[in-house]
Amino acid sequence: MTAAVSARTATARPDAPRAAEPDPAHDAGRGRPATTILVTGVLVVVAIYFLVPVYWVVVAATKTTDDLFGTNGFWFGDTFALFDNIGAVLTYDGGIFVRWLGNSVLYAGVGAVLATYLAAAGGYALAKYAFRGRNLIFGLVLGGVLVPGTATALPLFLLFSQLGLANTYASVLVPSLVSPFGFFLCRIYADSTVDQSLIEAARIDGAGELRIFHTIGLRIMTPALVTVLLFQIVGIWNNYFLPLVMLSDQDLYPITLGLNNWNSQTDRLPEFYELTTGGVLLSVIPLAVAMIVLQRFWRGGLTEGAVKA
Amino acid sequence: MTQTPQTTPTSTEGTGRATSGRVPTRRAVVNRAPWILVSPFLILFLLTFVLPIVVAIGQSFTTVTRAGLFGEEGVTSRFAWFENYRLVLADGNFVDSIWRMLLFGIVQVPVMIVAATLLALLLESASARWPGVFRATYFMPYGIPGVIATILWSFLYVPGLSPIIDVSEALFGYTPDFLGAGTVLWSIANIVTWTYTGYNMLIIVAQLKAIPSELYEAARVDGAGPWRTAVSIQLPLIRPALVLTTVFSIIGTLQLFAEPQLLQTVSPAIDSQYTPNLSAYTTAFAYNDYNLAAAQSVLIALVAFVLSFAFLKLTNRSSR
Amino acid sequence: MRQVTRRELLGMGLTGGAAAVLAGCTTPGTTSVNAQPVVPAAASGEKVTLTYWAWLKDLQKVADIWNAKHPDVQVEVSWIQGGNDGGYQKLYSALAAGGGPDLAQVEMRTIPEFMLVNGLVDLRRYGIDEHEARFDPTLWSQVSYAGGVYGVPQDSGPTGLYHRPDLYEQAGVPVPTTWTQWAEVAPAIRDVGAYIDAFPLDDTSVFAGHAMQAGATWLRATEDGWVIDMAGEATLDVARFFDAAIDDDLVTTSTNPFTPGWYAAAAHDKIASLVGASWGDALLQSVSGSEGKWRVAPAPRWDHGYGSSFIGGSTAAVLANSAHPREAMEFAVWMTTSREGIDAMIEHSGIGWSPARDYIGASREGPSEYFGGQRYNTEVFQPASKDQNPDWQWWPITQQTFNILGDGFRRKATGGTLVDAVVAAEQQTIDVFRQKGLTIRKAEGR
Repeated sequence: MTAAVSARTATARPDAPRAAEPDPAHDAGRGRPATTILVTGVLVVVAIYFLVPVYWVVVAATKTTDDLFGTNGFWFGDTFALFDNIGAVLTYDGGIFVRWLGNSVLYAGVGAVLATYLAAAGGYALAKYAFRGRNLIFGLVLGGVLVPGTATALPLFLLFSQLGLANTYASVLVPSLVSPFGFFLCRIYADSTVDQSLIEAARIDGAGELRIFHTIGLRIMTPALVTVLLFQIVGIWNNYFLPLVMLSDQDLYPITLGLNNWNSQTDRLPEFYELTTGGVLLSVIPLAVAMIVLQRFWRGGLTEGAVKA
Repeated sequence: MTQTPQTTPTSTEGTGRATSGRVPTRRAVVNRAPWILVSPFLILFLLTFVLPIVVAIGQSFTTVTRAGLFGEEGVTSRFAWFENYRLVLADGNFVDSIWRMLLFGIVQVPVMIVAATLLALLLESASARWPGVFRATYFMPYGIPGVIATILWSFLYVPGLSPIIDVSEALFGYTPDFLGAGTVLWSIANIVTWTYTGYNMLIIVAQLKAIPSELYEAARVDGAGPWRTAVSIQLPLIRPALVLTTVFSIIGTLQLFAEPQLLQTVSPAIDSQYTPNLSAYTTAFAYNDYNLAAAQSVLIALVAFVLSFAFLKLTNRSSR
Repeated sequence: MRQVTRRELLGMGLTGGAAAVLAGCTTPGTTSVNAQPVVPAAASGEKVTLTYWAWLKDLQKVADIWNAKHPDVQVEVSWIQGGNDGGYQKLYSALAAGGGPDLAQVEMRTIPEFMLVNGLVDLRRYGIDEHEARFDPTLWSQVSYAGGVYGVPQDSGPTGLYHRPDLYEQAGVPVPTTWTQWAEVAPAIRDVGAYIDAFPLDDTSVFAGHAMQAGATWLRATEDGWVIDMAGEATLDVARFFDAAIDDDLVTTSTNPFTPGWYAAAAHDKIASLVGASWGDALLQSVSGSEGKWRVAPAPRWDHGYGSSFIGGSTAAVLANSAHPREAMEFAVWMTTSREGIDAMIEHSGIGWSPARDYIGASREGPSEYFGGQRYNTEVFQPASKDQNPDWQWWPITQQTFNILGDGFRRKATGGTLVDAVVAAEQQTIDVFRQKGLTIRKAEGR
């Protein structure tokens, strides 16, 4: 458990003061400007690699299809069609793009919040109660972590189609509610952080078991829950195989399926290049911003999983 | 809702030690509580993980035969033993796709993990300027779905659209072919690396930050340079993070689907069974052979399970 | 409520599992709608909304013309991806889930595949026979199988030779009228930095088109099962021809017609001609700066066989789970044979060749500005549509055969040959037929 404890301190330690205090690791290389330039140079080159595709789509989204093929991809074309393209993206087919975006928010938002709650409840129960079947459940779920999600998607489709659930919001939402990894993480975390004496104290005060979980358990587990939530949001947002298999109605598509839908029209209808690049830009920018903002939250809980895995 | 339990105690073993009437009731509640907490997750887990696997196994042992030109004279289903598995394993393209993914994994996973480790060490070293900016930049692609990342990169791969090819032709007079039979696998590897390196780096950075500063202090007193510090202090201590990222990468590799499926339209080299998942999808929805597809799905799950389990066991043993 | 024991839990899991196995045994697509009673027409005054999935663009505008005249039968169009790029997968999965639209765009070649999973309604049960005379007879035979009619022909694609007279002139060679001549002039085209055509290794429907033109019939449905003649002499001749053309670098295999790379190459004068279907005319106009540069000539001929071939061709098919098959069929017949339907489909959706026996569409009768004033439709494609292989039929695993063949063709890049691929694909097609329990044998004399 010592490893978990040290990881937890890393989580608890806020980032800002740490950067302010003299960092011993950083002291070692100070006063060697040559190294600084070299290292920073390497980091800049790597950053360019990560940014090139995004830069390209920013440029491409400003172009007409003619310019897209006719002018250099790394610089702007003769016409500046960004606003026309964005307008086209937002209004095409009665604003279907906005609907796709809304669906993605729905799947990822609702799915991730509920999945986190369910994983927290399950993980907490396994960590804090001794009951028969507990090890069986844990073993089963641990197996679930190792089974790739796409391998179950196809059979899940066959099952859902028998139940009449295929091609509904539920067909994508319900599988998104289960996060074996989140369950695993929550159990580990609850095990080492939720103090049994706190629970006993609450019991003596007359609090019910579910109340104890909701008031004490959830609060203490918050750092792990944030991780599970973010994990699940990204996982659902980026999912492609499951909605592809499940959904045939365009109105239910998440953004990934929708953009692919446009992209695959480009070979017959080149005007879709403008829609695709514009749509990609519109969907990349919020995500890129979100990632840049969220990365500081990310750091915390993941270590737990790492230490325990 | 559990504040005032009405149920009479069902377990008798507790009553003996009970000093008041409340305690056995309490005990029943405590016995019931974990099931209330765990059952929503468990039911959904059974529905979305266990049942599909059971259904898939059932389907994979079934075969459908049709009489007449189109089955208009009757369709029969029957238990087929291992016939579907035999057919799947006899299908050279499917077996090739598994080997292809193993090759992909053997090359791409280490490259990505090494790159992520190096970036993490550089960012955490004293010599890096603006580490926060770089860290955020490298992590950004993780938020871009594989589908969109593939659309983005495909524009950079396609001759005529790609500025990279234009630049290469202008500078070196060389026309790279990103979508040819020999290269497209590595073009896919590039997309995957682009997407996940920053994510893996972040996990490693988190682990590096958890290293107590006394250790660095001690190393400095011993006169260790940045290189020695990295090799003898940082690398051993970030080992758990490396294990975690590797396992997830292995599972991710076997799931590869969106990237090849999308690149198919621009690369003739990608066939309909390029990856195991693409193969299962094609078999199910292009050939309508759900039974063969189920057998393929079961095999994919099995391979992923065995590989990650083996890796975990291996690293667990040696870390003890 | 008492504590659930582990054994009980296990029991629950097993019971659920057993139920699922039982449910799972009903493989989708194994019951036939055509054995069930005919769905009666909607009562007059009853509002009917038909859903229609297709990848033709702006098809809703065509449907709107119908909708304005038929307040009781409204058609709603949804766009899906083209055929095997995702549209069929959607349709199959919707059918397997017990749903799907009333009408769907299904290519001629895919009709038997949908029949295999009981996905289509036999339209003869709803009186399609009375409309037969309005359709082109060769197309009609491609929707008629096993005594039924399973789709309403929507368009087709007779082939011609799209070419750039300026590049041919620059190379100093004539536009070929036979494949032999085609092979003779191709090196001169290479000398001016262009290719005479692109040969798609992965889209084998083009190769099938060439074989069809040479007189091959890969599969035939007979009374006592399927007869395969895929690796017959006519097909092997074509395979040998293109093996040589690829080996001699006369055609490019790095990009397929009408893909981004091809558009870029065409825009840079690197593509001198293309044997393509009539619907290629609209796509060609996407080549940037190509206005007025292209013309159309009849496709080159083999020593034997027919003057033209066809690539592509769709139907509007009524799907098995439709609640209103009769209304759906009536709309489809209106769309494909009425003058206003055909003209609207040409104007809004840019369909291929009209399936009607006597009407090619008003806008196709005049000269084309894009093709420099050439009346290419009446000059080239109308005669071409009358000179096609009438014996050709499609089979229940067309796409799988094409994929198998395409997988073989891809090996061309690493030293394989088209001939070997064709021979192997024939054998694999036989194997797949037999796996499915269908009867198949090789043609006599082979």
